[in-house]
Order: sequence, then C-alpha cells, then structure tokens
Amino acid sequence: MTRFTKHSQTIILVIFALYALAPVYLVLLASMRSEADLFNGPLSLPWPINTSNYLRVWSDSGFSTFFWNSLKISVAVTVLVLLTAPLAGYAFAKMQFRGREALFALFLAGLVVPAPSVIVALYGNLQTLGLIDTHIGVILPQAALLMPFAVFMMRTVMQDVPDELIEAATMDGAGPLYGFLTVVVPLARPGLMSLTLIVFLFSWQEYLLPLVVLQTETLKTITVGAASLQGRYGVDYGGIAAAGLIAFAPLVVLFLTMQRSFVRGLSAGAVK
Amino acid sequence: MTARPAYLFLLPALFLYGAFVVLPILQVTAYSFFSWDNGIAQGFVGFANYARLGSDTVFWAALSHNAIWVVLTLAFPLMAGLLLAAILAERGPRTIQIMSAIYFLPRTIPLVVAGIIWGWIYNPLFGLLNYGLDMLGLGNLGGAWLAEESTALVSLNVVGAWTFFGFCVVIYLGAIQSIDPSLYEAAEVDGAPWWRKFRDITVPLLRNSTLFLGLYAAIEAMRFFDLVWVTTQGGPGYATEVLTTHVYKTFFLVGDFGYAAVLSVVLLVIVLSLSAIAFRLLRAK
Repeated sequence: MTRFTKHSQTIILVIFALYALAPVYLVLLASMRSEADLFNGPLSLPWPINTSNYLRVWSDSGFSTFFWNSLKISVAVTVLVLLTAPLAGYAFAKMQFRGREALFALFLAGLVVPAPSVIVALYGNLQTLGLIDTHIGVILPQAALLMPFAVFMMRTVMQDVPDELIEAATMDGAGPLYGFLTVVVPLARPGLMSLTLIVFLFSWQEYLLPLVVLQTETLKTITVGAASLQGRYGVDYGGIAAAGLIAFAPLVVLFLTMQRSFVRGLSAGAVK
Repeated sequence: MTARPAYLFLLPALFLYGAFVVLPILQVTAYSFFSWDNGIAQGFVGFANYARLGSDTVFWAALSHNAIWVVLTLAFPLMAGLLLAAILAERGPRTIQIMSAIYFLPRTIPLVVAGIIWGWIYNPLFGLLNYGLDMLGLGNLGGAWLAEESTALVSLNVVGAWTFFGFCVVIYLGAIQSIDPSLYEAAEVDGAPWWRKFRDITVPLLRNSTLFLGLYAAIEAMRFFDLVWVTTQGGPGYATEVLTTHVYKTFFLVGDFGYAAVLSVVLLVIVLSLSAIAFRLLRAK
C-alpha cells in the first residue's frame, strides 16, 4: 500500500471517529458550562467547571426519581427475561417435542414486531388489567417484546452446549431442571452475560411504552423525563445536556467495561 | 425423553409473549374490521377501514419517508461501515478494538437522547452546525435543518446513521476476518492497488453481511419511532411523518381506533414480510 493511500485511509478513520464522538463531547462541555460562560462559544473549554446543571436537573427537575424508575424497570425486565428466555431457548435447542418448529417460527416472527404496531390493542388491555400508570404495565409488555430476540439468542447459545454433558447429567438421574441449572447454565454464562447487558440496554432506551403507560410525574422514566425537559425549558441547554448525560452515562459505562459481551450479543443472529 | 419438560420450559416465555405481543396482534387485526365510536366497537365493516388508505395522503407520505429512510441508510451508514471495516481490518488489533468501540458508542445512547443532542446541534439560532459553518465562512449554507421540509428527513437520517454505522463496522469486521488472507496476498503479488482489492475481493465476499445489514436496516426503517417523535413529531407539515408516528397520532391524538388498527396491520404486514424475506435469503446461503 502506498503511503498516500494509508494516510488518506487514516484520515477517513479519524473523520468518522469525530462524527461518533463530537456530539457526545460537545454535550459534555455544555453540561459543565455556567450561563455566564455560555458566550465564549460552544467549543471553548468550560471554566470554571460547573456542576450546577447536574444538581439542578437531578434534584429540581426530578431526574433522581426518573433515574431510579428507569433502573427499577430495566432491572425488573432483565430479571424477567433471564428467568424465562434461557429455559425456552434450551427447549428449542436441545429438546424434542411436537410443534417445535411452529412454536419457534412464532417466536421468530416476533423479532421484528414494533411496539407502535401493537400499542392500539395493548393500551386497552393494560387499561382492563388496571396496569396503566404502573411500572408493571411497562415491565410486562417490554419483557414480552424483547422475548423473541432473547429466545433466539439463547437458542444459539444453548446449541453450543455439548450433548454428552447433558446426557451425563440426566444419566445420574437428575431431573431436567436440575440438569439445566447445574450443567447448562454454568456453560452458557458468557451468553447469559451478553443477554443481560443487551436486555438492560434496550429496556433503558425504551421510550414509547413508558411514554404512553406512565402518567404520574414521579413514575416516569429517564427517557420520558429527558424528552419532556426539552420542551419545558426551551433554552436551558446546560440543563438539557446534563439530563442527556445522566440518561446515557450508565449505558456508556456498561458498554466500555463490557464491550466484548455487548458486541457479541448485538451481533447474535448476524450471519457469519 | 418425554415432551412434558420441554413444554414446561417453554411455558413462561410463551405466556408472556403470547399475552403481550401475539394477543394484541390478533386483536389489532380484528379491530381493523370494525367501526368504532369512542373506543367501543360498533359493528363489522369488512374492509371499509382499509378503503380509507387510498385517499390518506399522510399515509402515502409516511410510507415514502420510510422508503427514503431505507435508501439513505443503505447509501450512507452501510457503505461507510463497509469502507471503515475494510480499512480497519488491516490495522493492529489495538487500533481495531479502540476504533470499533468509538464507532459503536453512539449505538448505546438512547435514541431519545440522540434526538435531543442533535436537535440542539441543528438548532438554527444557537446550534453547533450553523456555528461551525459560520466559523468556516460558510454561514450562508446554514439553515433551520429540522424545521425546513426540504432538509428535515435527511438531517434526521444523519442522526440515525450516527447510531447505526458502528454496528455495520462491527458486523463487517467480523466477516472480513474470516476471509482467506491468501486471496489478498495473491492480489498483492499481482500488484493490485488497495481499491481494486476492496472492489474485487472484500465487497463481493461480504455479500451476505451486506444482505443481512440491508434487510436489518430496512426493518429498522419501518420500526423507528423515538427519534422522530422527540425531534419533529413528523413535522414540519408531514415532512418527517413515518408509519409509526402516523399510528401514534391516529390512535392517541385523533382517537380513531379502526383506522389506527388498519395502519398497525399495514405496518405489521410490511415488517413481517421483510423478515420472512430476510430469513429465506439468509438461510438459502
């Protein structure tokens, strides 16, 4: 490769790195800028570093509540999916039963179902069940909408568990659930880790369900809170920037510390 | 082995999925054949609700925006991902890891927050984009990006691309690393320049990944809602209306149950057909 080619390629790599990072960086700057500092232009380093935007958003605008609500819902959805999808994925991967293909096809179809396409009926159902304006009303449909992806991913993971080990466990007279918990789950740990991260990520990012289900201000999630903050204070860019950062900081930290698990999980289902 | 444990293993997942996804799909389909008044079904009307699609100009505008979104996604983030992956693949493992993490980072940001960040970058008065253009002496190119019908959809797609191109890089990188290196070595012996190797080896051998990402992008283009809702809510006018926002408005703002159900069914038929095509094409490989 000529040096010219190599250098121009490096420039392309850098330009796209700027495209990826610049918006995040600029938001970070804006979130630490005081109002007096605003007129030095958006690229100047904020000085003195100012945490009042964070404090204001966190306590006055209710972001501490939104944050805990999001955490509670995301953890609940993740636990619910972890308790159900691995069992189903294992059944599809390793067990023989009538209707296996049809049931798996039913799950596969759900991979692409968008929340807005079911909301017309789902909303009424949640009303009938008395789940409107409750966190359960967000948790259950959200876990259900993520189920096809989770089951599909778990089936792929479980297929890699060697049959001999499962047979050895059942030979010892262990019941299927005992064998699953003692033999399969430990072997599938990396896959389960990926599933946990992805489900938590998707759940934290969800917007439509909490938007329509939750009405009480103190029940709302961080995505809904951030979106409504944008409307409320049209020009409080420091506050909005701080709110945005609070809303995605946990995800970025999770991603950076567990990049491998993330990428493996998100590319599950992609063709080799 | 008897089948009973299998059904017990399946039951919890199936119950949740059945109750909160499959059942609502069946209900929405049924709703679309009834006339409604204040949320109460009045009577079976056959395909009468569907007949309204023809004259609903917003529906056709929305559908065309979804289609444009697919084309823009194929043209920009997908191609960028391919090029970046091909370049990155020849660098050291450390560079690959760091750069792909950087490219992938925006994907972890909720689309709502992405919309807020970019809404601010695009702001005509104090937005960073116009500010940057001013700095470069290109102030006359600045505009009200999301508030002009001519630029709103493309500007939003740049945000969508921002969250998507890193995913393409990661998928393509995985595939490139499984290409037989001797193919490149042979081309090098022949003195082929980089772009020829890219065109004649990398691109054709990554066809499956391109197919996967293309279909993935098409399905996502039909599904996306958050980004539009938090930035333009389909406006200005109907310039960024998509099927999901049209469903939302028809149901929650207009309260037109029957027609909202029709739009939902159309949306479902499109995404399910795309996914059926995807499975057929990808399995055939």
